[in-house]
Amino acid sequence: MQKEQSMRVENLVKNFGKGDSLVSVLEGASFTINKGELIALVAPSGAGKTTLLMMLGCVIEPTSGSMWLGEKKVYENRWLTKDSRKIRRQKIGFIFQAHYLIPFLNVLENVTLVPLTNQVPTKEANAHAMELLQYFDIAEKAYNKPSQLSGGQNQRVAIARALANNPEIILADEPTAALDTERSISVVKMLKKIATEQNVAIIMVTHDDRMLEYCDRVMKIEDKKIVFI
Amino acid sequence: MINLAQKDIAHTLGKFVVTAMGVGMLLGIVLIMIGVYRGLLVDAQILLDNVGADLWIVQENTMGPFAESSRIHEDLKDTLKVIEGIDKAEAMTFQNLQLYGQEKPVRVTVVGYNPHAEINPINKNYLIQGRALQQAHYEVVVSVETGFNFHDTINIGRNIYTVVGVLKKGCVSSSGDPLIYVSLKDAQELQFSYSNANIRNDRDRGIAGDGDTHIANAIVATIKVGYDVKTIANKIGMWKHQSVFTNEEQITVLTKNLVERSAKQIGLFTVILVVVSTIIIGLIIYTMTLEKIKEISIMKLIGIPDSLIVKMVVQETVLLGFFAFVFGNIFSNLTYDKFPKRVVLESTDAFILFGVIIIASILASFVGVAKVVRADPTVAIGG
Repeated sequence: MQKEQSMRVENLVKNFGKGDSLVSVLEGASFTINKGELIALVAPSGAGKTTLLMMLGCVIEPTSGSMWLGEKKVYENRWLTKDSRKIRRQKIGFIFQAHYLIPFLNVLENVTLVPLTNQVPTKEANAHAMELLQYFDIAEKAYNKPSQLSGGQNQRVAIARALANNPEIILADEPTAALDTERSISVVKMLKKIATEQNVAIIMVTHDDRMLEYCDRVMKIEDKKIVFI
Repeated sequence: MINLAQKDIAHTLGKFVVTAMGVGMLLGIVLIMIGVYRGLLVDAQILLDNVGADLWIVQENTMGPFAESSRIHEDLKDTLKVIEGIDKAEAMTFQNLQLYGQEKPVRVTVVGYNPHAEINPINKNYLIQGRALQQAHYEVVVSVETGFNFHDTINIGRNIYTVVGVLKKGCVSSSGDPLIYVSLKDAQELQFSYSNANIRNDRDRGIAGDGDTHIANAIVATIKVGYDVKTIANKIGMWKHQSVFTNEEQITVLTKNLVERSAKQIGLFTVILVVVSTIIIGLIIYTMTLEKIKEISIMKLIGIPDSLIVKMVVQETVLLGFFAFVFGNIFSNLTYDKFPKRVVLESTDAFILFGVIIIASILASFVGVAKVVRADPTVAIGG
């Protein structure tokens, strides 16, 4: 059975500066990520993890190459849509080191903010958000503010927010950085479960080699090139 | 769609309310400043309205007793009375002096008029106790703001006067000093007669006479129905040794020549306060935006469009301006009557200020909006 494509990049290049001051960060990266996969992205500091993550997240523009989200081509030497932010809110979910929930919105509002911005009807957005909150066993906190939740609960809400727009891919930026080993393993296991059960691809940046065994593949940046190990 | 401004305000309601109250007090002061100007205009016209004259005949080449010193012979009134179209003509005096007998001296404007004449400058509707003058001497009608009571006695000049009438609060001259009324004869003596020592000294110097007290500061006249005020004013204006003003011209002298500078001063002060309020609102919004900059970056990163975030900032600023305006109105209405001079709050001024503050708030929101537009969505990635 052929796996469904979540993201594909071809010959992706990123340079900063021009002429003599040109700095090359990524040279011709090509890879495909399938739905249901949990991919670990590892690289030494300064190797370009963040730059790659921001390019895949349509936050910064690559220098050249092509990029697909699902079956839709979103980049070919330029963004193929005027509003790259629209791509983010429709096709990408983000998980950060800290939960970064909006403090003046309650849990339900945090989760529904992006779907509602995508013009999903309120009733439908709320129902889907409640399903996700139930999935993460936190539905009873739906009307609480983030300040009234524990760190772990907030992280689960943040993951629910990332899933709320039914994304093609979730980009997780070191979600275990601030956690001890036990909790880190628990979070990575949860991400794997989500990837499988929600049929969504997840790229997770990590510095912790102990987490790699829970991932389907490991993506590494070596000498400005992407290699899978 | 979630109203982000409403949610953010509800999240920090106490801070928002206190901020709005602070800015509101500034706006309240703006309203009071405008009220002070309105009060000046009202004060300027009270005396003129009460006298009810059509014409003011004053010393030649002067603008009358409210603008500068004016002396004119009292008997001119008799000459005026025979002019066709003149209904009544009476002499009046106006002077400022200090009254003693209270804890602090009270500065007042003294109006001298003939109690038996046909023109009576005391508006009987303003009398809250007693009556107008009836005797030719030593009676005084005072504004309640002087602090003197009915039947009190007051030393004025060389004589003792009895308070026979008390006028309600707000009976003041254009300078805001309380009005008191004495008979023309008493007023002339107060203003024009010399002390005994001075008279003796003048005699020793070879200067004859005890000083003519049959002088007034103005002759006021009313016009019979059917006659044109301006025509009669022009006719009198052709005479030598006096100038003539219609009542409207006297109002202009008071409101334009005397109040104008104060009005400009107050106007400038008001403009500065509005500008300061705008800057303060701008700074508050800038600070509020800075406090949320991380959340704004996250929102931008997860795909929330700038328009939605900008809407939040603009709505919060306009709401801050609106509530500040409401608090300003409450503040000004609670305090305006505590001011020593008349403050007149008019709803028209409040509506204009409301418009100005809403526009100012929108302008002030630009500093927050600029911050939103510049917020970097990448700050959340890469720790």
